[in-house]
Amino acid sequence: MSDWEPKIVSFLCNWCSYGAADLAGVSRMQYPSNIRVIRIPCTGRMSPKFALSALREGADGVWVSG
Amino acid sequence: MIGYIDKIKEISKGLLEEKKVDMIIGFRKGTVPMINEPCVAKTSADVDNFVWDSSCGINLANYLTGRKEKIGIIAKGCDSRNIVNHIIENKINREQLTIIGVPCKGMVDRSKVKALVSSDIEEVIEKEDTMVISGADFEKTVKTSDVISKNCTICMHRNPVIFDELVAEEVDEQKDVNRYEDIDKIEAMDSGEKWNYFEDMFKSCIRCYACRNACPLCYCPTCFVDESKPQWVGKSQDPIDIWTFHFLRAYHCAGRCTDCGACVRACPMDIDVRLLTKKLEKDCFEMFNWEAGLSIDKRPPLDVFNADDPDGFIK
Amino acid sequence: MGIEPGRIHFSWVSSAESTKFVDVVKKVTSEVKALGPNKRFVKKKAKVA
Repeated sequence: MSDWEPKIVSFLCNWCSYGAADLAGVSRMQYPSNIRVIRIPCTGRMSPKFALSALREGADGVWVSG
Repeated sequence: MIGYIDKIKEISKGLLEEKKVDMIIGFRKGTVPMINEPCVAKTSADVDNFVWDSSCGINLANYLTGRKEKIGIIAKGCDSRNIVNHIIENKINREQLTIIGVPCKGMVDRSKVKALVSSDIEEVIEKEDTMVISGADFEKTVKTSDVISKNCTICMHRNPVIFDELVAEEVDEQKDVNRYEDIDKIEAMDSGEKWNYFEDMFKSCIRCYACRNACPLCYCPTCFVDESKPQWVGKSQDPIDIWTFHFLRAYHCAGRCTDCGACVRACPMDIDVRLLTKKLEKDCFEMFNWEAGLSIDKRPPLDVFNADDPDGFIK
Repeated sequence: MGIEPGRIHFSWVSSAESTKFVDVVKKVTSEVKALGPNKRFVKKKAKVA
């Protein structure tokens, strides 16, 4: 399992972290490709059921960022 | 506590006769021992069915959601806190309610009583501080305070926090109880032990949703377990589905749960579902110094943002 | 409740903080990597014959 890479479901707020991710991309910054981004309109849209669903369906991690 | 009933009936009849309320929600004798059933009285004659003893553990605030009538309701300490919750969450208006407060010394835990005897209990007669339990081949007297529910033994709000009438002198509030003994024990486990602990605890769950139905907080028109597009929780007995149901239900009660124990009393499999909500209650208490349902003027912690939020990442 | 604490992360990153974003991604990834695959809270797929 040495080449195992985690799948991390990321819930990013449209106005904050999603913007930051966009800027990171535009600035050609390098970051791990383990995150799978889901854009949410606001972190207030986040619900514990999203996090549990992600894990249930096999995600290795969940990251919520406002 | 059994002495309260005359006063309860007197107040209830008065309210109905003066037409101050359309109905009174109280308890009548249940069909099986140690579970009194909720009962709605619309006339003085109905009030005669009312009972009050240590088997009135059901949380009556559950029956207030969205009602439009003027209602009289009999409320223990925990019921009154759930009524406050309902008022805060706009599920009922304070003006609609006439709250008949009942100081409470704890409600009986059926499984504790059942564990004391070997065959079926047919009748329970409650005296002032004792209960006489009898069945086909036995009769036994137990002290009521020895068989009250776990959540009642650690209850800090036995007297109603909101009421219009009080049926008796307030009882002394308990002090020096460690409310979070069970939770501390679980918190001390590492994540693997926790996993095994809960795996064991929930394995008997049959997903009857009795805990949800008994809970006054669970009033969503469509519960997440019943949603099918998208489907958050499978309908099966798969352990992960069972867990998802219990975890999410607990989260929905964060900052709202009054630890009334209705969920545990309703559980046919004797699962201590309270442990999850109690942990969240503890967190709310420690992080936000918040106990649910104490005042109708304060907003719950998950409703508001304060610059001094205890979680560092959000500042 | 038995899900490893490092599986779920919360953070706050402003839209101007691309460097912080990259740092957090790295931190989250390394912590989840250290925990290994999620084996507990995963629903087993029904086997289709």
